[in-house]
Amino acid sequence: MGGLLPIDRSGLSLRAKLYELNWLLPVLIAVTGAIGVVMIFAATDGVWTHGAAQHAIRIGVAGVIMLGIALIDIKVWYTLSYPAYFGALALLIGVELIGVNVNGSQRWLDLGVMRIQPSEVMKLAIVMALARYYHDLARWRISHISGLIGALLLIAIPMALILRQPDLGTTLLLGATGVAIVFLAGVSWRVIGFASLLMAVGLPLFVQFGLKEYQRDRIWTFLDPSRDPSGASYHITQSKIALGSGGVSGKGFMNGTQRQGDYVPENRTDFIFTVIGEEFGLIGSLMTIAIYIAVISLSIYLAMKCKSTYAKLLILGLITTFTLYIFINLGMVMGLMPVVGVPLPLISYGGTVVMAVMAGFGLILSAHLHRNSELPRTRL
Amino acid sequence: MARKSKITPKNSAAEQAEADSVLSRRTLFLGAGGLVMFGALGARLYDLQVRKAENYIALSENNRFNYNILLPSRGRILDRNSEPLAVNQPNYRVVLIPERSQDIENVLRHVGEVIELEPKSLKRIHQDIKNSPRFVPITIQDNMDWKTFAALNMRMHDLPGIIPEVAEGRAYPNGGIFAHTLGYIGRAGDEDIAQDKDPLLRQPTFRVGKTGVESAVEKRLRGASGKLKVEVNAVGRIVREWPDSKDAATPGEDVYLTLDAQLQKFAADQFGDDSGGVSVMDCVTGELRTLLSMPSFDGNLFVNGLTQADMDRMNSDPKRPQFNKVIGGGYPPASTFKMVVMLAALESGLIDPRRPVFCVGRMRLGNRLFHCWKRQGHGRMTMRDGLKHSCDTYFYEISQVIGINRIAEMARRLGLGENHGVGIAGEKSGIVPDEAWKKARLGSGWRMGDTLNASIGQGFVLATPLQLSVMAARLANAQFALKPSLIIGNGIPSFDKLDIDPAHLAFVREAMHAVCEEPGGTAYRYDSLKLGGIEMAGKTGTGQVRGISTSERASGVRKNNVVPWELRDHSIFVGFAPYDKPRFAVGTIVEHGGSGAGRAADITRNVLSEALRRDGMGPMTLKEAAAL
Repeated sequence: MGGLLPIDRSGLSLRAKLYELNWLLPVLIAVTGAIGVVMIFAATDGVWTHGAAQHAIRIGVAGVIMLGIALIDIKVWYTLSYPAYFGALALLIGVELIGVNVNGSQRWLDLGVMRIQPSEVMKLAIVMALARYYHDLARWRISHISGLIGALLLIAIPMALILRQPDLGTTLLLGATGVAIVFLAGVSWRVIGFASLLMAVGLPLFVQFGLKEYQRDRIWTFLDPSRDPSGASYHITQSKIALGSGGVSGKGFMNGTQRQGDYVPENRTDFIFTVIGEEFGLIGSLMTIAIYIAVISLSIYLAMKCKSTYAKLLILGLITTFTLYIFINLGMVMGLMPVVGVPLPLISYGGTVVMAVMAGFGLILSAHLHRNSELPRTRL
Repeated sequence: MARKSKITPKNSAAEQAEADSVLSRRTLFLGAGGLVMFGALGARLYDLQVRKAENYIALSENNRFNYNILLPSRGRILDRNSEPLAVNQPNYRVVLIPERSQDIENVLRHVGEVIELEPKSLKRIHQDIKNSPRFVPITIQDNMDWKTFAALNMRMHDLPGIIPEVAEGRAYPNGGIFAHTLGYIGRAGDEDIAQDKDPLLRQPTFRVGKTGVESAVEKRLRGASGKLKVEVNAVGRIVREWPDSKDAATPGEDVYLTLDAQLQKFAADQFGDDSGGVSVMDCVTGELRTLLSMPSFDGNLFVNGLTQADMDRMNSDPKRPQFNKVIGGGYPPASTFKMVVMLAALESGLIDPRRPVFCVGRMRLGNRLFHCWKRQGHGRMTMRDGLKHSCDTYFYEISQVIGINRIAEMARRLGLGENHGVGIAGEKSGIVPDEAWKKARLGSGWRMGDTLNASIGQGFVLATPLQLSVMAARLANAQFALKPSLIIGNGIPSFDKLDIDPAHLAFVREAMHAVCEEPGGTAYRYDSLKLGGIEMAGKTGTGQVRGISTSERASGVRKNNVVPWELRDHSIFVGFAPYDKPRFAVGTIVEHGGSGAGRAADITRNVLSEALRRDGMGPMTLKEAAAL
């Protein structure tokens, strides 16, 4: 395959690549996807065609794409970092202009053959762009104003566009990922302290003026659940009841009464963890979390094996996004965070997210597979 | 870019090494942070699923199960012979449980495509939705016919929150003739709910007694609610019922009335289109066999909610169908009051009943003329003749001697001017005037003219048909001051002694017998009861509604059939039978029915006769004979 791609200069044959590929990660991902299939099956009262089968097919198709991405030389992705970012930015602006409105949010772009969610594309592209940026940036600039402004612009512009859709969850996810990469790149503690101070002042202002009414509402409701017993806090309350009533060993597969009674809305998508918690109890919940920790740890291990800053930051950035998905989703389901509408990656039903996450793992696998590639530095 | 030139490969390698080391440390830092986060999530899970698990299991059970209130069957109301007067019948209806419906407007619109929902009922539905908790069923339409009900059932799938059910509705099989007595049921109002904390009252499909017997014995009729454990889903739809844990509702008690439904129907037939009331009382027990007010209204209309048209029609009817005349209508008793005056005279010892009075058709008192109903006068009248012929002049004369206070005292002893408390709302006490009453009420002194008017049951005196029947029953019973009773099981009544000389009562009864059974009596009719020699006693009364001017008297008093209905005399009759061994006493008033010897006497005779026949005292009917 390497021969077919003129820009693949890794010099490895396809067979060697398939041998070299870290297969443990795809296996863990497949296991996680399988948990998703089983739980979606339960959440839809045991009807295969109501999501479980689709999810299985999507995991399979996305798995093939993931492997495809993995086999392509990291230099290709390295070269595509900025084009991908600006392409995603263009899509976001396209959404702004001609997007499809679903449930009051303009997140989708209808391309005729398919609908895509540019914010999902941006989640990958921003990691690529920032990895590339810090790969090139001179060390002394990292904490210098000249280097900070570049990073700030790379992060803030897509955040602003996504917030306008409005999609608070993805905005924060994007911001957090960006900040994590800046942090990993080695920005000085002095800057971190200063930025924290700025946040402490800016956040209240942002909440007051940057958020839509319903977004503010969710935050207040989270802080004081009694405000709205039937709306968002109903959601959290029922979610906690589902988890709590599962106890240590759970009510048993397909036996969740909260699930049967449809008490937890969206339990096929964002609230699928409630089904795991209710039917498989603490044991099932912790096992699921353990698999996630395995995926994350393995990815970090793979990052450490890479030679280039680009590859390292790419893997760490992507796995940060993945981890944040999990934190936000579980925090929300357990009532530790406001309801923001972030899926549990690989387990929640939903095609775009599966595709984006698996593409990310494709990049991680590619970075690791080509860990010894020398990537040129354009000095900034 | 000034420093760019300073970068050498050596520098670059050192820089890379430094970058890698910073990155590793920072990765470790973030990784540690991540582990802390996962630790926090794990701790939260432990908190939820181990420490608070029991609590959440209870909440989840709470979610899963609901208790549906089961409405008790309302007790029936039956007559003395167990004939049903108020029953429950299947009522096909649809209710809406607001919390089970996402878009109520849309659901109502879809329902409106099958059944016509008037703006008025839509308004009521919205009101109910607003005022009730969201899980309480709201009646959309009651008493639907089967066809519509079935049609709506077919569309249930796109009507979330709409529930068809077969409930129990109240029905009054005899239509209107018991309506005043039975009353009707309706939704519990705010006052009801404020007074009575029974949660049943908050169920919008539940009905409470509003008036009449339905209201008077509400507690006995109601019963107690039950509950049914049901498994429900988040939108409240019942997934499963748990009949094992069903706590059935306790049905209300059946309540028996002293009334005889067949006799009441017979009496209603006698009234025809006339307005008034008749009360039939047992002369031994005081039980009311008939308590009828005419015309009546259909109690079933009130069950389903009265339309404005029905309401208007009732309110504009001069015969006032809603008004319970038999216990609430005060009428001048007219000549039926003469027994009171007669007994007062005898008990006072001031009047010798054999001493005659000469009637010339009128009597002068000061400068006023008091007329006897018979213009040409009755001539020589003893007390017995005075009653038999209803000579007003005789009573004018003796009343002046005995005075109003003795008359009033006797009237009260015979049950006039008193609320007897038959147990339903709307009973009036009428008026028995005396000097103290007039002073208190009108602030003026009693005049002899007032006594004269009262002596013939006119002027201030007012009595209800019920009171007239009580008076007749006490005269007939002679021993006890009977009190009327309507609802069986409200305790055994105890009666005071009547405390009137039995000889005097016998004298009055004999004179009343003469009224009905002796030729010349005002109500004489050959074989009056048509019960093979069973005889009755009674007294006519013609209650004057309008003043008769001197000029009209001069030119001849206009006959009742030439004056407008509302100016005609009230036709009144009291009586009892059999004369020698009284069983039943009757008080009848026909509003604007003309002379007491006419309509009221006819009705009373027929009703008494039917009452005795039904009591097994008369000859058998052909039907009964054939059955043997």
